[in-house]
Amino acid sequence: MSRETMNVEERVWAAINLEKPDRLPVAPDCQPAGAAKLTGRTQSVVANDPEEALNAELEAFDKYGGWDMYHMAVPSTNINTLFLGMKVKLPGRELLDNEPYQVVEEEVVKLEDYNNIIEGGWQNFFMNDLLYRIAHESDNIPELINKIQEIVQKAFQEWAKRDTYVPCWAGDLHPFFKLSLTRSMIKFTEDLYYRPEIVEKALDRMVQETIKTVIDKVRATGSKIAWLCEERAGGFFYPLPIFEKYWWKYTVQIVDALWSEGIISLWHLDTSWDKNFHYFKKLPKGSVILHFDGTTDIFAAKKELGGHLCLMGDVHPSLLSLGKPEDVENYVKRLIDEVSYDGGLILSTGCNVPAAIKPDNFKALVDTGKNYEFSK
Amino acid sequence: MAEQLTNLLVDLKNEKFLSQLKDRATKEDPVKILDECKRGMEIVGERFEKGEYFLAELMLSGQLFKEASAILEPYLLESGAQEYRGTIVLATLKGDIHDLGKDIFATLARAHGFEVHDLGVDVPASTVVDKVKEVQPNILGYSCLITTSFEPMKEATEEIEREGLREKLKLTVGGGATDEFTKKYLNADFQTTDAAEGINYCLKVVGGELNE
Repeated sequence: MSRETMNVEERVWAAINLEKPDRLPVAPDCQPAGAAKLTGRTQSVVANDPEEALNAELEAFDKYGGWDMYHMAVPSTNINTLFLGMKVKLPGRELLDNEPYQVVEEEVVKLEDYNNIIEGGWQNFFMNDLLYRIAHESDNIPELINKIQEIVQKAFQEWAKRDTYVPCWAGDLHPFFKLSLTRSMIKFTEDLYYRPEIVEKALDRMVQETIKTVIDKVRATGSKIAWLCEERAGGFFYPLPIFEKYWWKYTVQIVDALWSEGIISLWHLDTSWDKNFHYFKKLPKGSVILHFDGTTDIFAAKKELGGHLCLMGDVHPSLLSLGKPEDVENYVKRLIDEVSYDGGLILSTGCNVPAAIKPDNFKALVDTGKNYEFSK
Repeated sequence: MAEQLTNLLVDLKNEKFLSQLKDRATKEDPVKILDECKRGMEIVGERFEKGEYFLAELMLSGQLFKEASAILEPYLLESGAQEYRGTIVLATLKGDIHDLGKDIFATLARAHGFEVHDLGVDVPASTVVDKVKEVQPNILGYSCLITTSFEPMKEATEEIEREGLREKLKLTVGGGATDEFTKKYLNADFQTTDAAEGINYCLKVVGGELNE
């Protein structure tokens, strides 16, 4: 039986650089909602107490034998979710104790706000106006921001004690995604079709801010990978001309700006991107990681993008919540045999570890990912 | 003129569509006008199936249809009851407050001539069972975006089975958190993440194409 010959960092970078690692790197996206289930905490505890959220993640990591990369090292709680720009319903507040937090699809950014964004920038609009529209009456915003900084420091120290690679302390949402979340999907889609000029002007302004913010954060934290998120722009939602003009154009700008600084961008891409694979082929080889959520056909993505970009994913949340350990094992084996046979894959969950995950299924994911190749 | 209203909807010419609709609503048979809108939605659905239209166009045409229905409603009430192709009960179960996908599906289903009882989000299993007993739908649809609503969906389904109602309806489940495992777990008849595919299934159910 073969043995590990690389450390966690070498293994992850081999996959990113499209080389064959000693074995598949394993990196489940274990956020507090899933970590709560894995460690016996309620959703209310992890959603409302950032310290407990981090504790849940650390405990899950230790309990399941650890894994190679923890790419979202700052736990997502009631504080960070405000940065989605949406109102949030929390367990223990609006929801039952063991229901995960959820965002409210609502038009919190109005049509007239586009001009404020274009003139003053998104960050200014967000910090001085939008944040106060979405915050709950009990939220003390300066206190929450301080708390984020505290928890980032603690996360930094705690992850450094563990044998895992934590390369990603900077991130942002794609400007398109920010507008879709905050305008609400239907209103934003109406904007794209009925008043596209104002959307384009806003995106022109916002993308420059995104690039600067992410690069500044990467430099300040010594990160090597920046996390970027988009869940609403792929071919599942929009025709290619809309995708090209309002998403792809800006994505190329972001990727190029980061790549020229030596930064890899890790794109969290939910929903199906099957119709968009050929665009990603145009990005510089090895410049991005594409994290799919189980609805994109990762096997088809491998055929089109294999040898060009690193893929990540994609054990479906339904499989992890309802399947049997052998179902998870079989799926991970298939990923290894058909996607990772020549490198270029980081094994992960489709989106985050789900709040209803069965612990034995999580174990099957991590263990199969770490051991299957060596057992052959 | 009739074709023009249909085409305005299909081409998403929102201002012209609504202006013409408002103008005609005061003068013409509202059932006929609604039929023209429904025809438009059918064409949108056909284009979606061919890959010419995307979810964005389904959403926008659905919004226009919704506005048209609201404008025509008082005239339709005056002219008597509408005929429906079939009845659908829709719900996002307890613990899940996402309504976007469910709302899109509900609008499309209405546009295709279904009577839709949309129970909303965060719905207790007992509410679903009561509504199924009351209206005896052809189709019961669950919408689901988070995994914690798998159990409430299961609970509702089991209660429907216990009440002897399950054989009388087709159970469908849709949404980003669902897949074949969800379908099997719920013993559902159909699963999809594609609203238009869901409508096609419902049309087959009421068209008798799925009878064994």
